[in-house]
Amino acid sequence: MSPDTLSTTLTLALPKGRIFEEAVDLLKRAGLPLYIPEKSRALRHSMNGVQVLELRNQDVPVYVDLGVADAGVVGKDVLAESGRGIYEPVDLKFSACHLSLIRERGAAGPIHRVASKYPRLTREYLQQRGISAEVVKLSGNIELACLTGLADAVVDLVQTGSTLRANNLEELDIVLHSTARLVVNRTALKLKREQLRPLISRLREII
Amino acid sequence: MSYVRTSFWPTNDRCGALMLPEGTRDVLPPEWSQRESLRQKLSAYFTASGYHGVDVPTLEHQNPLHPQDSRAFKLTDRDGSVLSLRSEFTTAIQDLAQRRFALGPFPLRLQYAGRLWLRAQASELGRLREFTQVGVELLGVRGPRADAELLHVALGALRAVDVEAQLEIGHPGFVDGLLEDHHITGQARQALHRAVDRKSGPDLTAALQEHHLPAKLGTLLHAVMDLYGGFEVLEQAAQLPLGQRARAALSELQGASQHFGAPLLFDLSMSRRYDYYTGFTFRAYVAGHAQQVLGGGRYGGRAEGAQADSSQLEGAGFAIGLERLAHIAALCPSPSAEAVLALGEAGVRLAHAQGLIAERAWTDDPAALLNYAQARHITRVASGAALLPLSLDTLARWAKEQA
Repeated sequence: MSPDTLSTTLTLALPKGRIFEEAVDLLKRAGLPLYIPEKSRALRHSMNGVQVLELRNQDVPVYVDLGVADAGVVGKDVLAESGRGIYEPVDLKFSACHLSLIRERGAAGPIHRVASKYPRLTREYLQQRGISAEVVKLSGNIELACLTGLADAVVDLVQTGSTLRANNLEELDIVLHSTARLVVNRTALKLKREQLRPLISRLREII
Repeated sequence: MSYVRTSFWPTNDRCGALMLPEGTRDVLPPEWSQRESLRQKLSAYFTASGYHGVDVPTLEHQNPLHPQDSRAFKLTDRDGSVLSLRSEFTTAIQDLAQRRFALGPFPLRLQYAGRLWLRAQASELGRLREFTQVGVELLGVRGPRADAELLHVALGALRAVDVEAQLEIGHPGFVDGLLEDHHITGQARQALHRAVDRKSGPDLTAALQEHHLPAKLGTLLHAVMDLYGGFEVLEQAAQLPLGQRARAALSELQGASQHFGAPLLFDLSMSRRYDYYTGFTFRAYVAGHAQQVLGGGRYGGRAEGAQADSSQLEGAGFAIGLERLAHIAALCPSPSAEAVLALGEAGVRLAHAQGLIAERAWTDDPAALLNYAQARHITRVASGAALLPLSLDTLARWAKEQA
């Protein structure tokens, strides 16, 4: 058996950036001995016995599903797009945004092609609405796809809406409301329940 | 010893043109013998528990009612009808029992081992599209003793291969019964099952809102999602307002647990495949491994208070994923016998008599034999009635005799 097999060390997967700090703060208030690490190139932090992995947010569901991390924090948008059936016990209620169908203001023609960073959710949404359009996966500045005619519509995150207004775009429909979620590996919840169960109930109390 | 073997079978990465289909893999010598040994030990344990081995065809008639139909590989037969590649053992064994042992005697104890194929599996370790399962079915009986037997056989089989696992049991009829009590049907029922099985508090809240369901049901289901852990879970569940079906499911779990007589984990929100299982379900966790190594449950027949297809033979069973088991057991490799170079059939007989592996000399060229034996880390030669140290002299003398 590998060394960490029998240990009770908790490993957490947290996304880089702003969510990282909010997640650390929240988990600290829920009783974990975490702190914001000093700026460094370290990708893995050992914080008083809890191991913290700093990842791209798309990678959090992967690390948790495959059991490298026991639990993690990730946006519902990224979790739903990943399609992974991991436990999602708590809505942490921060980092709120929504995924929307966006078109150029006044556009009225049929939708043949939709660009998105979220191809799976886009496909599901179009299918539910009975729209048979091609889905193109892009990696950034999704709005540009609309403005240049690459796509007839885009599905993208909207936080404040200022980018949309500045580019003469409008939100036509909300695909998904998203906030940060606590996610837990299916096996870890059972075998490390002595640590995870109290964490989950404390998080529920303080939110 | 096994590391020596590994180095003798180098992986060749210059074979781009010989790529395998996604989700399939080769099994090379050291792993093959490990898998074979695991399979034999499991099978021996099942046999010692009275489970008779059977084999079923790889090709099946496609059946839209088959539980894995949407994920099975399909082929076209000569007459244009559609065949499926075997995607699950339980259904195949159930069909075999109906075909061959319709009149019993019951209980009928059967074991199997073989490959399965699924189109839609992510190709991560342990989620291959072609994979191997070893398992048992206990057919034609229902009751707490039968449930407990399977738990004992599951744990015993894993112990036979030195794997310490924790068993967890649940009952999809518990959640389904609760939903039925509240007259939840159709899409709402599916959405709630999905949320509860994934212990997703947020999804549950959203589904209740979307389908305009009462807050009382929400409180109940939120409580159910937290019903995991030791025996205390069953006591907590008994305090909830339960209808007849949910209470029957709970008492089945209590019965199985009492007859099992050893600690178990419980999870009452496990409701995956609630439309397939008609009794308890169980799985085995091994610390440090994210994926369960064993899974099973009760199917067919008539579940307490539920509508079930009575033409289906009732049973329960479990399957062990051999790839996952090999991955877990790989951490403690078993030593294998020494191999020697056998010069002639007398040498082979001598080596075998001493429990050694005999590799037959395939040429009279002493230099070629020496090269091969050295690469293979073979240090002894079985020649006639004697075991000699490997040397060019010994090989040359034998080659001369042959000429």
